[in-house]
Amino acid sequence: MAVDYSALLYDPVYGELGVPAMFVAAGTAGEATITVIDDTRPKSLMAGSAEVRSVGPGAFARIPELIENGIARADYVDATLSFNGRSWIVRSYELRGSPNGEDLGEVRFLLKEAASTDG
Amino acid sequence: MVDVREDILARLLEVVASIPNLRSAQRNNVDIPEDQLPAGIVFDGDEETADASDATMRPPNRPTLVTMTPEIVIAQQSDEAGSDITTLRRELIKRVLTDTELNEQIVKTGRHGNGAIRYLGCQTDVGWMRSLHGALRAQFAFKYTLKPDEL
Repeated sequence: MAVDYSALLYDPVYGELGVPAMFVAAGTAGEATITVIDDTRPKSLMAGSAEVRSVGPGAFARIPELIENGIARADYVDATLSFNGRSWIVRSYELRGSPNGEDLGEVRFLLKEAASTDG
Repeated sequence: MVDVREDILARLLEVVASIPNLRSAQRNNVDIPEDQLPAGIVFDGDEETADASDATMRPPNRPTLVTMTPEIVIAQQSDEAGSDITTLRRELIKRVLTDTELNEQIVKTGRHGNGAIRYLGCQTDVGWMRSLHGALRAQFAFKYTLKPDEL
């Protein structure tokens, strides 16, 4: 493929929108600094007739950068991800393949609050 | 003027508000931000009578039995949303079914009259937001005497 999506798309996008994030895999002391794009969105759920409003926290990261930092797919879930002044736990993830292949694409981390409020 | 329906719903809100650890108790609010959780919301209930099949010639203003079925929503957001909801459900059912004012003064259950309060059941929902979200919808039936001349 002639088009390098990493160079032409992801690099400039992450250069403009990306923020530094600390990634700590569960059960390890090792940490890696990566670049993520904050993807926290408004989210609401129906509770009978009531609509409860909150946010669905998430973040995009580039898989090549994760691999460069020794972060494998098995390290994603339960890792701590800190960025933009907040710490989150990766509760799940979804892969966003690129036209150059899955391993050159992105992952969207689905997050939950690290220290859950009691309310 | 005696409006038993309104008296039941107003007292239900007070009973819900008395549940420990609820941050907010509201009536008919359909838009709840997360900082009000855990929340209890009382929704006004539908009413039914058996009068559609009443073939007697009794005057229309005679008392009749009404069954109202309000719904109470309990919503919570935390890592322990499931057990939190279970605890709040236990307190809700216990407080509604044993509340002296509801039973003896408003609905007039048992030896106080021919009213009744019944727990009909509940449904649960879970989902992810900032943390785990859980909600419970509980239905109760309140049978009481509607007296048109007292409205």
